[in-house]
Amino acid sequence: MINFQERIKKIRSAVDLSLQLGKVEFKLRNEGSYLGIFWYLLNPLLTFGLLFLVFSDRLGSDIPRYALYLLLGVIMFNFFQSSTIESATSILKDYRWVIKSINFSREALVASIVLKNLFSHSFELLFFILVLLFFKISLVGILFYLVILFLLCLFTFGISLILSSLTVYFVDMESIWSFAVRLLWLGTPIFYTIAGQKRLYSINLLNPMYYFITVARDVVVYTRMPSFSMVLVMIFFSLISLFVGLFVFNILRNKFAEKI
Amino acid sequence: MEKIKRVNINNISKKFMIGRNNNLGALERFLSLFSGREPKKLIYALKNVSFNAHSGEIVGLIGDNGSGKSTLLRIIAGVYYPDGGEVAINGKVVSLINLTVGLKERLTMRENIFLVASLFGTSHAEIKKRFDEVVKFSELGDFVNTKIYQFSAGMLQRLAFSIAIYSNPNILLLDEVFEVGDEDFKKRSANRIKEMVKNGVCVFLASHDMEMVTKYCDRVIRMEKGEIKEIIYPEDFKKLIP
Repeated sequence: MINFQERIKKIRSAVDLSLQLGKVEFKLRNEGSYLGIFWYLLNPLLTFGLLFLVFSDRLGSDIPRYALYLLLGVIMFNFFQSSTIESATSILKDYRWVIKSINFSREALVASIVLKNLFSHSFELLFFILVLLFFKISLVGILFYLVILFLLCLFTFGISLILSSLTVYFVDMESIWSFAVRLLWLGTPIFYTIAGQKRLYSINLLNPMYYFITVARDVVVYTRMPSFSMVLVMIFFSLISLFVGLFVFNILRNKFAEKI
Repeated sequence: MEKIKRVNINNISKKFMIGRNNNLGALERFLSLFSGREPKKLIYALKNVSFNAHSGEIVGLIGDNGSGKSTLLRIIAGVYYPDGGEVAINGKVVSLINLTVGLKERLTMRENIFLVASLFGTSHAEIKKRFDEVVKFSELGDFVNTKIYQFSAGMLQRLAFSIAIYSNPNILLLDEVFEVGDEDFKKRSANRIKEMVKNGVCVFLASHDMEMVTKYCDRVIRMEKGEIKEIIYPEDFKKLIP
């Protein structure tokens, strides 16, 4: 019983710390700039704007509601990309001496990065809702999107745990991951569709981001029920990523303070 | 007050591999598997170290640089894990191994108090409750909403120290930081620690300052090359001061 209470206390303290660190990182990112939020909205919006200009008449011409299709893909991938790339660097760069001096929940550090990017994502989402309103599309899908976003957070958290712990052992993990995530960005149907392309479709069956983005588009952009199997695979990827992430992190964490 | 065993260290050892193999990239690490043995050196930072510490005592750790004091503190803090032996820690540990670590200079003092206290495992509700005490003790009340990059080194030390001692530790680890800030703050921090010890906190103080160690500690562990050379009690403290 005491053990259980202790565990609950530890989890609560880790959640408190994650929120605290997430808040701090978010503040620091916007520090000294009244346009802070605007600056990081700018990256996904510019990407969206550019892709829309270039592809709306070509790759996107057969895709209904292409602007929304593209924007949702861009902001979801942006959330995943920023969280995982930052996780591959933050332990080494920002928290080296804290890890060497204080015993605190290392998972909270990774969770705080995901939380920080979740805060940023919420602004992108707000912008997306405005676009939905502009196109006079029902907002009911957004409620379901919150569930998808929760699963995406679990998935991202799991991958971030793996990356942050591997970074301690391989100093160039950030570069490797930046390259890998760029490939993933190109391979995921964000600005194009894979309908009718057998080879791309087969490859994307192994791509978790494909499931998250496709299910979200079905629900939010096209306001229709997503395929049941797609939802199941999405849940599977979230849970497997979380469990593998926690497993790898727990195995490697004991040596963090010595290795960094 | 009944003495509680706070730290039980039984025959621990800690080794570090010093060599080129640290800080390798993925490709280099892969290639190093085929390129033969890298020059490595095994260093024992701690060897067969055993002792206990109880509530209500101040234990001094002395020894030359590299004698294993900080490694031992890090093992008690749970930052390092021993390669052999057993460590049992009973209670919340707050470690001031690097005094100002954790503070973010672009945040205000208020934000830093919440941040660092959270790193020490204090809940948000508890920090709120103790916030005024931390500010009062640090005597930095006029700067609560000031970003700390404008603080002097002394002010930063006072802030960090105040946060640590108001984070409800059962075991407090201090690496050369018993007396910080100006004379008045030194006196008050020493008194505050003595009061905490009276209330059952167990304090470890690693230092090169023999005067300070003999002034405050109930016993002193002298370390040499990762081993406990001797444990010195107050009746023999005079041999520590030349």
